[in-house]
Amino acid sequence: MKEVLKVEGLTKSFKLSKKQQKLENTDTKIKTAVKGLSFSAFEGEIFGLLGPNGAGKTTTLRMLATLIKPDSGDAFINGTSVVKEPEKVREKMGFLTSELKLEEFFTPNFLYDFFSDMHKIPDDVREKRKEELFKKFGIDKFAEVKTANLSTGMKQKTSLVVSVAHDPDIIIFDEPTNGLDVITAKVVTDFLLELKAQGKTIIVSTHIFSLVEKICDRAGIIIDGEMILCDRIDSLTKEKNLEDLFFELYFQRKGGDI
Amino acid sequence: MKNGTLVVFKKEMARFLGDKRLFFTTVILPGLMIFIMYSIMGQSMSSLVKDSVEKQYNTYIVNMPAVVSRLLEESNFDVTEIAENEIDGTKDKLKSKDADLLVVFPADFEKNIASFGQEGREIPYVEVYYYSSNMVSSAAYSRITALFDEMEQGISNVFDVNPDTENTMYDVATDEDTTGTLFASILPMVLLMLIYSSCMAIAPESIAGEKERGTFAAMLLTPVPRGQIALGKVLALSAMALLGGISSCVGTILSMPSLMGDVMESGDGMSISLSAYTPGDYAGLIVIILSTVILFITIISVLSAYAKTVKEASTLVLPVMLLVMFAGLSSIYSSEAKTEIYWYLVPILNSVQSLIGIFARSTGTVNIAVTAGVNIVVSAIGMLILRQMFNSEKIMFAR
Ligand SMILES: Nc1ncnc2c1ncn2[C@@H]1O[C@H](COP(=O)(O)OP(=O)(O)O)[C@@H](O)[C@H]1O
Ligand SMILES: [Mg+2]
Repeated sequence: MKEVLKVEGLTKSFKLSKKQQKLENTDTKIKTAVKGLSFSAFEGEIFGLLGPNGAGKTTTLRMLATLIKPDSGDAFINGTSVVKEPEKVREKMGFLTSELKLEEFFTPNFLYDFFSDMHKIPDDVREKRKEELFKKFGIDKFAEVKTANLSTGMKQKTSLVVSVAHDPDIIIFDEPTNGLDVITAKVVTDFLLELKAQGKTIIVSTHIFSLVEKICDRAGIIIDGEMILCDRIDSLTKEKNLEDLFFELYFQRKGGDI
Repeated sequence: MKNGTLVVFKKEMARFLGDKRLFFTTVILPGLMIFIMYSIMGQSMSSLVKDSVEKQYNTYIVNMPAVVSRLLEESNFDVTEIAENEIDGTKDKLKSKDADLLVVFPADFEKNIASFGQEGREIPYVEVYYYSSNMVSSAAYSRITALFDEMEQGISNVFDVNPDTENTMYDVATDEDTTGTLFASILPMVLLMLIYSSCMAIAPESIAGEKERGTFAAMLLTPVPRGQIALGKVLALSAMALLGGISSCVGTILSMPSLMGDVMESGDGMSISLSAYTPGDYAGLIVIILSTVILFITIISVLSAYAKTVKEASTLVLPVMLLVMFAGLSSIYSSEAKTEIYWYLVPILNSVQSLIGIFARSTGTVNIAVTAGVNIVVSAIGMLILRQMFNSEKIMFAR
């Protein structure tokens, strides 16, 4: 199996402003969100980062997506360092989170073309792929409607399609089903499975156990920015289900009190 | 091969041109507003001037000599003779605009004048009271003092100055020169302020706005280098601001005849002529405006990138607006462009001086070139800063 993603000792801390200190209920000025995280993901698999809110999942994925730089450590996508060659990494990577928004003024058609062009996709390839994807997600009927006027579900599908316009090898998805209605959530998870079948590598973060059990091949449990356990799903769930395993690990670490 | 700068440029232009309201407010509206505002200002100014020239002046005179009575007979001075004890009451009338002018002659004025040339004669005082807040009163004042001067010269003619105003043009300035100084004193500031506000209307929205709405990050995920994103944005924003600037210029130029023409014509026949300017002047104007627009956009872009929200950006760009205003004020106090090169090395100030020079038709090509060069160099530095900012997670993803 080909190792597509190799994460080595990623560490990231943030300086907290006075306001943030109050919000986080802490006196420390520095918050270490991710502490020496290491894991690998292989071609044609879905890897899940499982952890509670504030565990450091989003921070980790943003480092992989080259939006923020780690304090130390590195990650390699097909051997390319996210720290040293971020632009090359971006060529072959798709990243999707609810924080990234589409400009509501534009139509799905325009946005798709724009992002394809930003990735320097030849026009004929772009048109062919756009037709396929728009049809698959039912965007074709709304291709010329301003995104602002689309339903929430259609907006999310458009975001999804746009994020894979350049046919990336690795797709990073932060909380893929968060805030989606059940129908759209199903469409999204089906698409992830389809991408996997095409041999793509997919990294998802989530706090939903059932999602991990359903779609992930392997998963890492992170608590307070540290990887507690990382293995294949079938090994993790050999004795008990994922939820029970998670809480056992969680109480061990936190000393019984929540 | 597709170029990142071009792709970003096209997207920004599509955003701008596709939004009819945005296009209207940034391109059509400034020119229209200026045209309407200036035309109304011009109209009311010229009617004020006409009023004060053609009106009958309510004039009160104490101890009116017969010569003066004859002098004012066929003029629009509506004369009422009053006694010395009515002086204070008439001063109050001036304030309430019931009177326009009060002239006080000494009682022995005529006898005194008759003794002109004799030893030991006391020079008589003629006092003219007026109310400067009243346009009509002011006009009456300047008319009557001119009349009295003439009268005085008639009595003691030592020599004549400019006697033949009928047939000789004593003002050697041509229409072109007149146009120059008028334009030079007000246009640079007006123009720069308008351009700055055009820039202010679009750049914060495009940079701080995209940051605030979370659409910027999507662009940062593409392999297009940050420098190209910065350049594409700055160029597109400059193009839009330039359209707004051109619209303001057109509005200003179209309203010039009514703003200044009437006023001047009712004065002494000077007029405004646009044909004063050569293609070279226009080329200089375009170079200066273009480089200034790029400079403004770059400055506002850097400030907007620093801001977390559009609102914050709009606040941050205001102090620069004041700088532009102060720099522009320098043109009102001196209608001559500075010639020393160092004036042209300071951004903004150099644009003001160059514009003064162009409008007054007295610029050197070197100064214009230096101004454009300085603006471009400073913009380029700004662009590098902007690229660094787009690269900085603290700035782009601050919480
Ligand atoms: N830009 C930032 N500035 C300060 N603190 C941050 C920043 N980003 C994340 N954090 C903090 O780091 C921790 C991990 O956050 P995050 O990665 O979003 O967790 P998760 O996605 O697992 O919920 C949280 O305590 C969060 O408040
Ligand atoms: Mg998160």
